[in-house]
Amino acid sequence: MTQTPGNDALLTSPLHEAHEALGPTWAPFGGWQMPIQYSGGGVVAEHTAVREAVGIFDVSHLGKALVTGPGAAAFVNSCLTADLGKIAPGKAQYTLCCAENGGVVDDLIAYLVSEDEVFLVPNAANTAEVVRLLQAAAPEGITVTGQHRDYAVIAVQGPKSGDVLDKLGLPSDMEYMAYADADWNGYTVRVCRTGYTGEHGYELLPKWDEARALWDALAEAAASFGGRPAGLGARDTLRTEMGYPLHGHDLSLEISPVQAGSTWAVGWKKDAFWGRDALTAEKANGPKRRLRGLRAVERGVPREQMDVLNAAGEKIGETTSGTFSPTLKTGIALALIDTEAGVELGDQVTLEVRGRKLACEVVKPPFVDTKTK
Amino acid sequence: MVPEELKYTEEHEWIAQAGEGTVRIGITHYAQEQLGDVVFVQLPDVGDSYASGATLGEVESTKSVSDIYAPLPGEIVARNEALVDTPELINSDPYGDGWLVEIKLEDASAVNGLLDAAKYRELTGA
Repeated sequence: MTQTPGNDALLTSPLHEAHEALGPTWAPFGGWQMPIQYSGGGVVAEHTAVREAVGIFDVSHLGKALVTGPGAAAFVNSCLTADLGKIAPGKAQYTLCCAENGGVVDDLIAYLVSEDEVFLVPNAANTAEVVRLLQAAAPEGITVTGQHRDYAVIAVQGPKSGDVLDKLGLPSDMEYMAYADADWNGYTVRVCRTGYTGEHGYELLPKWDEARALWDALAEAAASFGGRPAGLGARDTLRTEMGYPLHGHDLSLEISPVQAGSTWAVGWKKDAFWGRDALTAEKANGPKRRLRGLRAVERGVPREQMDVLNAAGEKIGETTSGTFSPTLKTGIALALIDTEAGVELGDQVTLEVRGRKLACEVVKPPFVDTKTK
Repeated sequence: MVPEELKYTEEHEWIAQAGEGTVRIGITHYAQEQLGDVVFVQLPDVGDSYASGATLGEVESTKSVSDIYAPLPGEIVARNEALVDTPELINSDPYGDGWLVEIKLEDASAVNGLLDAAKYRELTGA
């Protein structure tokens, strides 16, 4: 029950002062000091607001990078896993930056602007490495620029998110994973139909120095639709209910997309992408472990790095994320389970929770219905 | 948020007199605020005995878990069964309906050695 100490070395969002006014609980995340929850809210209330109305999140810690130059899209397509050829300009794509051994350096969103321009949103802690790898690989004429603090990112998520954008006069009627650059009070804002909650939602990219006015307007509009600001605590419970992996936990240099079940984000037919040979071999041979969903069938809350046991009490895997699901009111987890353990969906396994046993059912995420579209 | 009539520990628990040689314990307002939404409580069985400082249960929130410590040696004589289905009582009423257990103390006078409200306020900067 110790309070997280302030740390001057952490980076702060351009919305830091707006959070201060809301009584935040701060936590370090990927090198940034970000709000986990707000007083008067709390993880459960903020989570429920997103599922039932709308929540606004400051996720400005997310990285931003720009790849430009003749054939920039083809270059990115030869590095990252997903097939950029499957989307048109004006659309975004979930993709992976893999190492040659198939491990995941980062998972990120690529916005296809044109053949000659791709905008990337990597995770905060991995942005510098993604930029470094792309810069090292870029041919003459293609420039990779880190823009981490050029833009803020505000996520507006929930069934009322479209109403909030309408109220501000921002474009809301777009397909899932599409984006548009809009004018708002003389400011340019990139509006994307993306998110990390499983709800209908948007991620807005205002310029760093122009983010505060947009946040204030969004907060006011959200409140009028029964919504509220939400912290990274709710973002984590929301994404876990969807079974979305979080890099560094459910996907990492040690956990390949074949193991994590993220193969849908790999363009297997492409001639080249980083990690292609290793991943193709792993897919052909079958992964030695596989990410599964676990739903507690008794009271208790799984956390990450807990042992998964079979009926004989033998260790067959380990959790990579775990939390209490505010929607289901039960414990849920993602766990890497050894393939040779022969565990099937619907089987029961046991988690070792600090010396106690917690029975869980093996399920296929999402734990809660997805409503992104 | 630090009631004058209670005793406290450095582990952010409160202790109230609950009859002859018996105390009721819970976690403080400050503690529940630090924990966030409580979603699960693990309590000891009635009849179990604990040494001072021994872990007798857990309070778990959406984001973390904290041990509950025996503030003084004694035997569990009651537990708050309401917390099984409504653990959020710890957030909404930490000094009332969110109590945890009652302990019959080995030494009833040991309560005097705990922190008073003023000392606890000092500890939490309240």
